Amino acid sequence: MPELEVRNLTKRYGKTVAVDDLSFAVEAGRVTGFLGPNGAGKTTTMRALLGLLRPSRGEALVEGRPPVAMQAPLETIGAALEATAFHPGRSGRNHLRCLAAAAKIPRSRVEEVLELVELSGAAKRRVKGYSLGMRQRLALAAALLGDPRILILDEPANGLDPQGMRWLRDLLRAQAAEGRTVLVSSHVLSEVDQTADELVVIRNGKLVSHTTLAEFTSSGVVPSRVRAADPERLATALTARGASVEPDDGALLVSGLGGKEIGELALAEQIALHELSPQRSSLEQRFLEVMDEKDEPA
Amino acid sequence: MNLLASEWIKLFSTRTTWVMVGLGLLCEGLFAGLLTGLASFGDIGNIDEVITGLGLLMTLMLVLGVLIITTEFRHGTASSTFLVAPRRWPVLIAKLGAGLLIGILAGLLFVLVNGGLALSIYSGRGGILPPTSELVEIYAGVVVSFALLAAFGLGIGAIVRNQVGAIIAAIAVFFVISGLPELLPGTIGEYFPAQAVGSLHGRVEGDGTLTQVGGGLVLAAWSLGLVAIGTVLTVRRDLSE
Repeated sequence: MPELEVRNLTKRYGKTVAVDDLSFAVEAGRVTGFLGPNGAGKTTTMRALLGLLRPSRGEALVEGRPPVAMQAPLETIGAALEATAFHPGRSGRNHLRCLAAAAKIPRSRVEEVLELVELSGAAKRRVKGYSLGMRQRLALAAALLGDPRILILDEPANGLDPQGMRWLRDLLRAQAAEGRTVLVSSHVLSEVDQTADELVVIRNGKLVSHTTLAEFTSSGVVPSRVRAADPERLATALTARGASVEPDDGALLVSGLGGKEIGELALAEQIALHELSPQRSSLEQRFLEVMDEKDEPA
Repeated sequence: MNLLASEWIKLFSTRTTWVMVGLGLLCEGLFAGLLTGLASFGDIGNIDEVITGLGLLMTLMLVLGVLIITTEFRHGTASSTFLVAPRRWPVLIAKLGAGLLIGILAGLLFVLVNGGLALSIYSGRGGILPPTSELVEIYAGVVVSFALLAAFGLGIGAIVRNQVGAIIAAIAVFFVISGLPELLPGTIGEYFPAQAVGSLHGRVEGDGTLTQVGGGLVLAAWSLGLVAIGTVLTVRRDLSE
């Protein structure tokens, strides 16, 4: 049984369709990145999984059951939805105490999570005076309060400094390694690249792809970078074989032919190769490609 | 019980509650002291005048009740609050409990300030106090009305959600339409919230028939009815922010 699942989830706001017949499942023990352009329906999907929204159609399930049926909710799911959802006049510590009291979590745990997110020093201060990064840490502290089996984080890297991002990455990896479930949305693709094992990509409320990170980034056309003694003649030969060739700072960027074919062609043409390296398409590049592909109507 | 504890921490971990209750009591002290201390004795007259400043405190209780729920929507804390209690209605029950408790607390503090200051100055100037039993009845009515007004505000707040809108709605429903009963035939007017508070405070005007307890029950019906509607809406509505 998947820890988190949406089945044919549809959410309409009046005439606007925020999520459109979306289905996917998230398993434990790995970090699942949740990607999509602004307005793709990521936040709506997350809110449906938390029981904050009522689906127009379909369902959202947590450990196989509707989220409103959760027993001990904070020990099941920890969520950080936005870094601004605090009463500005309440201190960070008191914000956590309100939640802890409601869930019957001991006060000592409040101090523990404050320590964990390195906010102990500022805990007495009112949230009004917090930076975006500090609010983000407080939101994470609230998510971790119940030591939950599942984490749902919406853009947690927003506003974090480089050390904070690294800390967050380590935290998420550690949580997944302990067998917990982590669903994290982000538009900082370089972060996702270093953190996620799996990717769920949506667009206009529909599923675009759900694969492992490695599959996602290598599933596109992987070009090769080629340096040769006679680049012009090689380019002509490659083009004749159907490859597309682009000059790239003295080298050639060749797509449409694999490394093997390029090497053999160069040998046949008796052109010495100085470099032949496959270019792993970056997550960002691949992401933008996928978004462009989907722009065209099928 | 846990949720009630949480709501209690929420109430007292921001300055709003302290400022509102504190300011209300300070004004009450000033009203009571100035009126009974400085007004010409003939003008004070009966005990109703001595128990002064209720209007301000009642308005504050109404607003405080509204704030108990609308701040959660205004600052987006509703999401985390309802994550702890996904069925949501227990949160509203806890908020109702917190509203009633803060109303009772404010009511008792009012009695302390008003009784301690106004009554002692009044009797010091030779005023004749009504029998203790009557005083107890009046003050009990005040305490109950404060609690029920906070609940009234909570109900409106849960229905309206928008903070400013809810405050305006609560004050409008309570005070503005209280002029309406004069236009209505019979005793229907007594069942309006402001008139019910009047009965509850033991101030029946004209040919009113509602007893003090009756007034309390009518106001309770209003308050709990509004909270019930607000609870149903809160359970059903989406939390999109």
